[in-house]
Amino acid sequence: MTDRTPGPDPELALSVRDLKTYIYANNRCNRALDGVSFDIHRGKTLCIVGESGCGKSVTAASILQLLPELSRIEEGEIVYHGAEGPVNIERLKRNGRRMRAIRGKEIAMIFQDPMTALNPVYSIGFQIKEMLLYHTRLGKRARHAKAIDLLRSMGIPLPEKRVREYPHLYSGGMRQRAMIAIAMSCDPRILIADEPTTALDVTIQAQIFELMDTLKREQGTAIMLITHDMGVVAELADDVAVMYMGQIVEAGPVGQVLRNPLHPYTRALLESIPVLGRGKNQQIRAIPGQTPDPYDRPTGCQFAERCRYRVDACAEMPPETQVSSSHRVRCWRHREFMADAAE
Amino acid sequence: MLTYIARRLLTLIPMAIAISFLIYLGLDLTPGDAVSHMIPPDVIGTMDPERLDELRESLGLGKPFLVRYWIWITGVLQGDFGYSLAGGVQISKIFLDRLPATLELSCAALVISTILGSILGTISALTRGTFADQALTVVGMLGVSIPEFFFGLVAILVFALNLGWLPVGGRTLPGYDSFWDRLPHLIMPALVLSIMMTAGVMRYARSSMLDALSRDFIRTARSKGMPEWRVNLLHGFRVALTPVIVLIGFRLPVLIGGSVIIEQVFQWPGIGKEFLSAVRSQDYPLVMMVALFSVMAVLLASLIVDILTALIDPRVRLGD
Repeated sequence: MTDRTPGPDPELALSVRDLKTYIYANNRCNRALDGVSFDIHRGKTLCIVGESGCGKSVTAASILQLLPELSRIEEGEIVYHGAEGPVNIERLKRNGRRMRAIRGKEIAMIFQDPMTALNPVYSIGFQIKEMLLYHTRLGKRARHAKAIDLLRSMGIPLPEKRVREYPHLYSGGMRQRAMIAIAMSCDPRILIADEPTTALDVTIQAQIFELMDTLKREQGTAIMLITHDMGVVAELADDVAVMYMGQIVEAGPVGQVLRNPLHPYTRALLESIPVLGRGKNQQIRAIPGQTPDPYDRPTGCQFAERCRYRVDACAEMPPETQVSSSHRVRCWRHREFMADAAE
Repeated sequence: MLTYIARRLLTLIPMAIAISFLIYLGLDLTPGDAVSHMIPPDVIGTMDPERLDELRESLGLGKPFLVRYWIWITGVLQGDFGYSLAGGVQISKIFLDRLPATLELSCAALVISTILGSILGTISALTRGTFADQALTVVGMLGVSIPEFFFGLVAILVFALNLGWLPVGGRTLPGYDSFWDRLPHLIMPALVLSIMMTAGVMRYARSSMLDALSRDFIRTARSKGMPEWRVNLLHGFRVALTPVIVLIGFRLPVLIGGSVIIEQVFQWPGIGKEFLSAVRSQDYPLVMMVALFSVMAVLLASLIVDILTALIDPRVRLGD
């Protein structure tokens, strides 16, 4: 567990402490998040990486309380640090007034697939203005003008015309821009992006990320970017948290974690990336084995079964250990890896 | 949009002609003709066959099939629907007398079933898995599976005979012609006629609504901080509406068909009741016109469905 820095940090936007979110299905319990802690700062991007099913999206959904019906935040806290002081999100009623006042206004979210995330029967303008209607005091005309401005600033050509169009007339990249326009319409302090470019092609992906980077720099938005692409992490992240089976196994500033990975899973992820230009015979090391059944987890280190460096101690759950002021790892053997790196 | 409607109306014409031809052909193939119906069977045997042929000739029955069809269809297009064989009344007059009653009944049933079905279906979807949902599901299954005439008879027994709240049947009493006088007569047949369709619309609206609520844009709407009513109704129901409208549109002709039985049960003086007696007495000109009318209702309903779909769903683009 991380030590909290003494005194309120003015740049701190959100802090999650020891979050446990469980999902129930068929009388079984999936401990989807099993003690997750991290901070998001203004003007910084935190990337959360991990393979499918590791709890990245559940983390995002927990922050906005957009969890599926049969799931619950069991323990831990999510503290939003807004202009009016800290708010414990996990204590708010799921779809209650105070939660809704935070959604969209303070913490906005964009989703994986812009093809399905927009409502097909309402114009893009309507879907932006709806947000302004609920979270601002702008009049009808001002809302319309603001919607056009937002589309323009997202780089959508002919916004006066486009604002009246329906999502099916937009291309995939344009829809994600429109989605970001909706998300940014009330100047949220935090933007959560859940794999925003998975459904888009690579050139569009670059444009979308550039847009997000601009928002971060110009408006100081804190960004939480969920991805499974280490390349994206290297390019955009300030901080990175690597998740595996509902836990953060390693977290820290992006330079430290990528250059000096201390958890075997982080290492394995980095080794599994194909590099352009090395030809088709390059060694890509796939991670052996499969993720354990989420309903029947090992009691010790979740990664032990697939780990090259496994020792007997791994049958016990390793604690999260702070190895520097900002770098922490959950592995029994991290000291050895640190020594390796130092050589 | 207007050009689309115009074009659709134009394509209706050849379809209507083809169907009218089939109707005429079908009834021409049935045994017996107008003469054999006009003259009692015991008299026909004793009559001079030459006199019979003369009679056929004078009625135009001696002409070839296509010529007879041509005479009929041009007449219909000019508004001359011909005469009913029973009583020799102008068919157009029968339509003018009877159609308002049928339309009144069908429209009332359509409005009731649309509103009630959508509301109940939405409630059922929003309370999915609870007692209310299960109860509505059971009621819906009963409504779909029990025939309407049964409901009709039970309703007459309970509300008209035992409780005496509503009249047994008919559309009006002599001398009481205002809408408010007629309303009590309308209530029972309209409700009974709408039962089956309400149940159908409800089941369909429920699944359509559940489908809409599971879509990604619902989560988006929630993530924007929209209140639940807006998420469910503006985002969910609005999207769920399109398939429901299509269903209701295509049930429209069924409603006219269904009213044949209900009109009989409640002695409602509509086209359906007239149709039944026309079939029974082999009154072919009238049967043909009623059949043609039903077909036109089907064609118009499908046109209305297309226009409505385009109005509520921007993804459906009408060729303009």
